[in-house]
Amino acid sequence: MEKKIGLYICKGCGIGEAVDVEKIQNIGKNALRVPVVQVHDVFCSREGIDLIKKDIAEQGVNSIVIAGCSPRVKTYEFSFPGCFVERVPLRELAVWTIETPEEKQLAAEDYIKMGVIKAQKGEIPEPYIIETVKSILVVGGGISGMTAATEAAKAGYDVVLVEKESELGGFARKLYKRVPTDDYTKGVLGDVNLEPLINEVTSNPKIKVYTSSKIEKIDGQPGDFDVTISKNGSTETIKIGAIIQATGWKPYDAKKLTKKYGYGKFKDVVTNFEFEELAKKNKGVIKRPSDERVVKTVLFVQCAGQRDPEHIPYCSGMCCATTLKQARYVTDGNSDATAMVIYKDIRTPGKLEYYYKEAQNTPGVMLAKGEVTGIREEYDKLVVTVEDSLLGDKAEIEAEMVVLATGMVPTTKEPQDYLIGLAEAAAKGDEAKAKYIETTKKPEFILNLGYRQGPELPFLEGGFGFVDSNFICFQYETRRTGIYAVGPVRQPMNMTEAQEDAKGAALKAIQCVEHVAKGIAVHPRAWDTSFPEPNLTKCTACKRCTEECPFGAIDEDEKGVPFYKPNRCRRCGTCMGACPERIVSFKDYSVDMIGTMLKNVSVPSEDDRPRIIVLCCENDAFPATETAALHRLKLDPALRFIQLRCLGSMNLVWIADALSKGVDGMLLLGCKFGENYQCHFAKGSELAKYRLGKVQETLDRLQLESDRVQMYEVAIDEYWRIPSIIDEFMEKIRQIGPNPFKGF
Amino acid sequence: MDKPVKPDLNFAKEIIKAGGESLKKCYQCSTCTVVCPLSPDKAPFPRKEMLYAQWGIKEKLFQNPDIWLCHHCGDCTAYCPRGAKPGEVLGAVRKLMIQNYSPPSFLAKWVSDPKYLLLIFLIPLLLFLGEMAILGYFSGTEIPRGENGEISYVAFLPAVPWIDVPFMALAAFAIICFYNGVKRYWLDLASVAEVKRKDIYGCIYETIKDVLLHKKFQLCGVNKGRYTAHILVLYAFIGLAITTGIAAFYEWVLRWESPYPQTNIVKIIGNISGIALIIGMFLVIVNRSKNAVKQGMGSYFDWLLITIIAGVGVTGFLAEILRLAEAETLGYASYIAHLVFVFALFAYAPHSKMAHMVYRATAMVFAKASLREEAIKQEEAA
Repeated sequence: MEKKIGLYICKGCGIGEAVDVEKIQNIGKNALRVPVVQVHDVFCSREGIDLIKKDIAEQGVNSIVIAGCSPRVKTYEFSFPGCFVERVPLRELAVWTIETPEEKQLAAEDYIKMGVIKAQKGEIPEPYIIETVKSILVVGGGISGMTAATEAAKAGYDVVLVEKESELGGFARKLYKRVPTDDYTKGVLGDVNLEPLINEVTSNPKIKVYTSSKIEKIDGQPGDFDVTISKNGSTETIKIGAIIQATGWKPYDAKKLTKKYGYGKFKDVVTNFEFEELAKKNKGVIKRPSDERVVKTVLFVQCAGQRDPEHIPYCSGMCCATTLKQARYVTDGNSDATAMVIYKDIRTPGKLEYYYKEAQNTPGVMLAKGEVTGIREEYDKLVVTVEDSLLGDKAEIEAEMVVLATGMVPTTKEPQDYLIGLAEAAAKGDEAKAKYIETTKKPEFILNLGYRQGPELPFLEGGFGFVDSNFICFQYETRRTGIYAVGPVRQPMNMTEAQEDAKGAALKAIQCVEHVAKGIAVHPRAWDTSFPEPNLTKCTACKRCTEECPFGAIDEDEKGVPFYKPNRCRRCGTCMGACPERIVSFKDYSVDMIGTMLKNVSVPSEDDRPRIIVLCCENDAFPATETAALHRLKLDPALRFIQLRCLGSMNLVWIADALSKGVDGMLLLGCKFGENYQCHFAKGSELAKYRLGKVQETLDRLQLESDRVQMYEVAIDEYWRIPSIIDEFMEKIRQIGPNPFKGF
Repeated sequence: MDKPVKPDLNFAKEIIKAGGESLKKCYQCSTCTVVCPLSPDKAPFPRKEMLYAQWGIKEKLFQNPDIWLCHHCGDCTAYCPRGAKPGEVLGAVRKLMIQNYSPPSFLAKWVSDPKYLLLIFLIPLLLFLGEMAILGYFSGTEIPRGENGEISYVAFLPAVPWIDVPFMALAAFAIICFYNGVKRYWLDLASVAEVKRKDIYGCIYETIKDVLLHKKFQLCGVNKGRYTAHILVLYAFIGLAITTGIAAFYEWVLRWESPYPQTNIVKIIGNISGIALIIGMFLVIVNRSKNAVKQGMGSYFDWLLITIIAGVGVTGFLAEILRLAEAETLGYASYIAHLVFVFALFAYAPHSKMAHMVYRATAMVFAKASLREEAIKQEEAA
């Protein structure tokens, strides 16, 4: 279909008064050769929209450029199915943020030019549709996994549940009692009562359960995974649409706490898990291990090896409530028994605060804030030293038994540690790698993904072994599209929270199978039908795209030529930014498109009128800029903003293009990265920063100062920072002076 | 190194029973200590006392002058985010301390349990009714009148032996009890903190000055009216003590028997003190009721003393008015009631809340003698 562009210039919201619309109209018609150019007082009015629709119907306009307000407003009004639509935010970028009329006019002309170029270069994407299945695989049959399975089945999806133990139930099976989920005043010890959930899973015809089974291999992509399950030596391969990993946690190895708390040295120092087993074994009667005596005084040490940089530095979130529950094992029915709890803080968020209050009101439960610094044995008692407490500077407390509240370690930790070690060894050479494989015991892998980037879900650096999920914006979403982590494998949590989590993850899995069936990106660009289309004939097999893709969407053949799996892709364009040959393009987003746009920005010839290109993340930094505009904060008129899908899609060639055209500087506005990253695509802004480190070379080749290109991290709510960031940057640019290429 | 901490569940339960039922709600946030107008910055209370109480650590509570340095302003209770009512809990601990230090223990039990309420008043009532019986008033003997034929309580029950003997015995008993209790308390306090000042009399002098000026009460935030009420009652008691002294002087030295004319100095001081006492007690009751929600209503233990003192004041005045009005039966009845209340006040002083004046004063003297605040300041400076 032949492209026909229509340019629609809105005069509303003060645009008509601020800029010379007629001049722009002429530029559109004559300089840019746009066949249809219309001006209207208020385009978002019924009349204005009808005007556009009429052009579509009568003139065959199929690429629409609307110059008016931000693409984030009036989205319902300006939706024209089957057409390429580009919104040019004249109101925000030219009218509201720039002060002088001449500069407003110049900015408006530049933005219109760029909008039209975008329409000229862009195509309407055709969705990537392959044959898919909609069944969901759940790995792990504990509370999280069973809940996810039943929720997905209830929504009408086929589920395959794989559990490595011979019975379903996970950790909950080992509990004597649980913290009740209803009103705590009805009783503080609830029955675990797993049977109804297990029955629901096993009796549901939509759920197929594999016990004593493991995942041997997962190949393919969302909607089309090939999952090989092994059971008792035999294997079976099935087609799966999406995967939920609910493999949970393991208790922290208490043997590492021997020095501090005498675990292993004194028989009556036990972990909270062992205490639970003791209670279950004797139906609530607590007999201590050393002499089977029924105990009357038990001391609980909270955060044992937790929130402790030497052991696990985080809080497991569930031990406080667990201890308050276990304290009742001691006091319930024994009016003269005391359960003492020494804690750093009691962390019982939400409704659990009432549970804490109930426990507090029990006379036999004695709580004190303090730090346990040592445990020793005296005759048949344990003497616990507590410091920093109100009981005394260094108080000693006698108890018959001590319970250590040790924490949760995700099941993903061991495979991750192994893989990190392997990568480190491999970096030292083949010999070191071979030695590592030989000398290190290989832990049991969980998913065994056939992905180029590794067999397990990626982890967050400094994330203590938990699966990386964008916990600020998108919980459950891991860095493998179509694979969702749920429950304590994702973040420490209790049973109730895990059940809630499971519902969310089930919905995410459903979103995945439904979207891939229609050829739409799964998330976060959950409307996008474009996908990366590499021109492989020009590929040099440099492997940058396969290594940098944050989602492992690209595998490669033996020669290193990339092999795109579009359903794994999130459409961020990181591969497009990474490629030195610039062969990766989307139908509506390409290196050439952005490159042409920035090469066509006006560059004033005067030395005191700099021109700056701002490459801006469309998810956070650009909305923040628009908010600044909404607050009528003024920005330097030298700026021209270009929105990118993600800063990760920034190709270095754009910097060379812009600077060689005489642009004085480039400002990159991306998301916060690192441990608490906010990037929608996990690694985009981090990769942009990494690439920027290499731009030095390019600039040196052009004999330009590397300070001309700078990157800042901005969060979506930090609109107030935008002017100061820009002022700081402009200051630097003015110090450096004009680009020597200006005017060439 | 401190002595091993021995949590005592039974003692914790005792505190709960003694009026500290909110005790377990405390989660050691320290709001109480921060808002307490009396707690010194460097030697704060009552947060640590709340924890000792939860864990039932008796020694730490008893060997600690802070329990008495608290004047029960109730600011802590008003601001406590958990409703743990530290003021009430400390009140309960003080009650247990009085029980602990003042022998015999059965008396302590009587005044803290409503079960014994009747018994408390029945004993003096029977005593005075017995005296009347001996004098034959129930068997027809006419009650003698004064020299001028007016109603005279001295004629009704001559001071010697019917009044002075029982009351002097009571006073002696109370003094012995107090001496014993204070000695034990002092020794307990001294076992933990060192007495650093040599001039104990200086400490006592400073304490008396503090008490007379009511400096601590002035600091109370939530219950501002308490200062006026308590100081009125205190000075009323002092006035009544002076009245008793002058009366004793008249009787024993001048051999001048009552009733005295209303213009006599003894009557003037007595009447003014009596009025002050009644107003003071009225304010006490009003304040307590007004602040009940914010700072707690107080325990039975508190209210028993309030009842006794208010009773002393009201019946005393009633007896005087009825005497002047020549209302025979009612007058004598009021006088007997007055004697019953005064008896209760004296007899149970070492065990009832009345003991607070002695133990609190002891703690204040000790705090000064041990340089509690100064010592900590010096430590900080070093």
